[in-house]
Amino acid sequence: MSFEELEHTADVRLRVKADTLEELFSEAARAMMVVMYGSAEPGPMRRKIEVRAPDLESLIHAFLSEILYISEVEEMVVSGADVRLAEGCAEGDLVGEPFQPDRHRAGTEIKGISLSGLTVSRDNHSYILEVIFDV
Amino acid sequence: MLPGVTRIGPYEWEVPIGFVPNMRVPGRFFLSDLLAETLEPGAVQQLANVATMPGIVKHSLAMPDIHWGYGFPIGGVAAFGMEDGVISPGGVGFDINCGVRILTTPLAAADLVRKRELIEALFAAVPTGVGAKSTLRLDRKELSGMLTDGSKWAVEHGFGIREDFLHCEEQGSMVGADPGAVSQKALQRGMPQSGTLGAGNHFLEIQRVDKVFDLKAAGAYGLSEGQICVMIHCGSRGLGHQVCTDHLRILEAATRKYGIVLPDRQLACAPLSSPEGLAYFGAMAASANYAWANRQMIMHATREVFARMYSIPYEDMHLVYDVAHNVAKFEEHVVDGRRRRVCVHRKGATRAFGPGSPDLPPAYSEAGQPVIIPGSMGTPSFLLHGTATAMERTFGSTCHGAGRVMSRTKAKKQLSGQEIKEALGKKGIMVRAHHNSAIADEAPEVYKPSEEVVRVVHETGISRLVARFVPLGVIKG
Repeated sequence: MSFEELEHTADVRLRVKADTLEELFSEAARAMMVVMYGSAEPGPMRRKIEVRAPDLESLIHAFLSEILYISEVEEMVVSGADVRLAEGCAEGDLVGEPFQPDRHRAGTEIKGISLSGLTVSRDNHSYILEVIFDV
Repeated sequence: MLPGVTRIGPYEWEVPIGFVPNMRVPGRFFLSDLLAETLEPGAVQQLANVATMPGIVKHSLAMPDIHWGYGFPIGGVAAFGMEDGVISPGGVGFDINCGVRILTTPLAAADLVRKRELIEALFAAVPTGVGAKSTLRLDRKELSGMLTDGSKWAVEHGFGIREDFLHCEEQGSMVGADPGAVSQKALQRGMPQSGTLGAGNHFLEIQRVDKVFDLKAAGAYGLSEGQICVMIHCGSRGLGHQVCTDHLRILEAATRKYGIVLPDRQLACAPLSSPEGLAYFGAMAASANYAWANRQMIMHATREVFARMYSIPYEDMHLVYDVAHNVAKFEEHVVDGRRRRVCVHRKGATRAFGPGSPDLPPAYSEAGQPVIIPGSMGTPSFLLHGTATAMERTFGSTCHGAGRVMSRTKAKKQLSGQEIKEALGKKGIMVRAHHNSAIADEAPEVYKPSEEVVRVVHETGISRLVARFVPLGVIKG
């Protein structure tokens, strides 16, 4: 699992890679948190999550949007998730640590996950997500 | 310039029908040769995509700060007919009513002693940065009032004086706001964030009026050379972000339901009169009101700091004006000689109503609407006024800022926050943020020159220069 930042003038554009779709969801969540908080390490916090959407791109959009909401309201920096996928549904157990101002201020606030340019594809080795965050 | 785009004036370009399939109207944008050097093909594509949307009137427009966004380009303006048109969160953005206001003080530069102490006091009084929470705890009833009445609510609750909301676009309170269309999640996010600045490109800056170009208009706005002012730039915080996310999902389903075909999913939309379109409008207007109240509360905290430190009366610090950069609104415009009510989307663009507009406070009627264009951290900001030309050509709209030219990835590789801070310090500009990365992200080098963007709108006449402000100190998220 890995992610890299691609060129984008105004916003943050990422490419995320993982061996399985479930890991892609988890790594995308971690990547989003690293952009937002500068780091995202595993910690004592746990939180269940469940989202529904009609297609894969919408599902990952809903999953990341839900984590953005949880992160802000519950002050949780998510480091990853154990994800289970079914038709039109993503379920998961989020792992993370509490937001601490002195450790989590090296990033930039994400306002939303854009549907423009959101793609999930596959090469011989891995699943690839490209996504743009409005910052 | 890109193949297929034609020049139709010294600063004006046309994107013809057919540039992308299914365009209903041509695209038009304003740009100088210098700014054209950094124009991204993606931004023009997005301008053309907007021209495919149902009910679009006359042109898909972009201002000279056009750049690649999502859905609409940043700097994009489009009007839609009431009968056949649509409304789209892709034409507003996640940060609903991200906007800017400018406040005057009776101080001159020489009066601004203990500047470091002032910056620290402002930084303490206004919560900034990722994860910042308000010291104020609103209950549901108060939040609902804020969503319905905006700036007016804030003033009635002790965060300002009556003239404040009269000096805001829409008088700081959009009609048609529907708190019922705002989700529980959005309310939850909004409750602890009232009066917070946020992060990214949001800022509070102390400035000096260093040049007045139009004495008469500056006089009407209460500005004179050498005066100390404060500029506040922020939006509707997590509440507005959540409203956009929620309604994007609803409108995606509506796009399918109404058989609308779009080239970009972020342009998801619904007819203006449909239940989905009305719900988005109601929630968006409520978020816009939250943003106006938010800037009002930050201005209140700023006035208190200045009043305490410099012993000046609170009432002697006047709000010149407050404008929205990301919003969709119902307005009347003359189109092909006929007066029409349309829904104008401005995404990274500013309303620039001309002289005599009934929406302006009486004192500004002759000069036209004040238009505030923030510069980047080390560069000047500008005040302009709206014009009859803008009413005729751009649905009363102009640019909103400098527009980025360098990505954050490149900025972080090339620029260190500490070095930028020191370089600005040598120029007499103090910067305060929680983290140096917030400074590198927003360094002057990452933006197009604000002077050039403003020169283009001045030369084309879609707004005219009134005054220039130079930065003295800034707090960032």
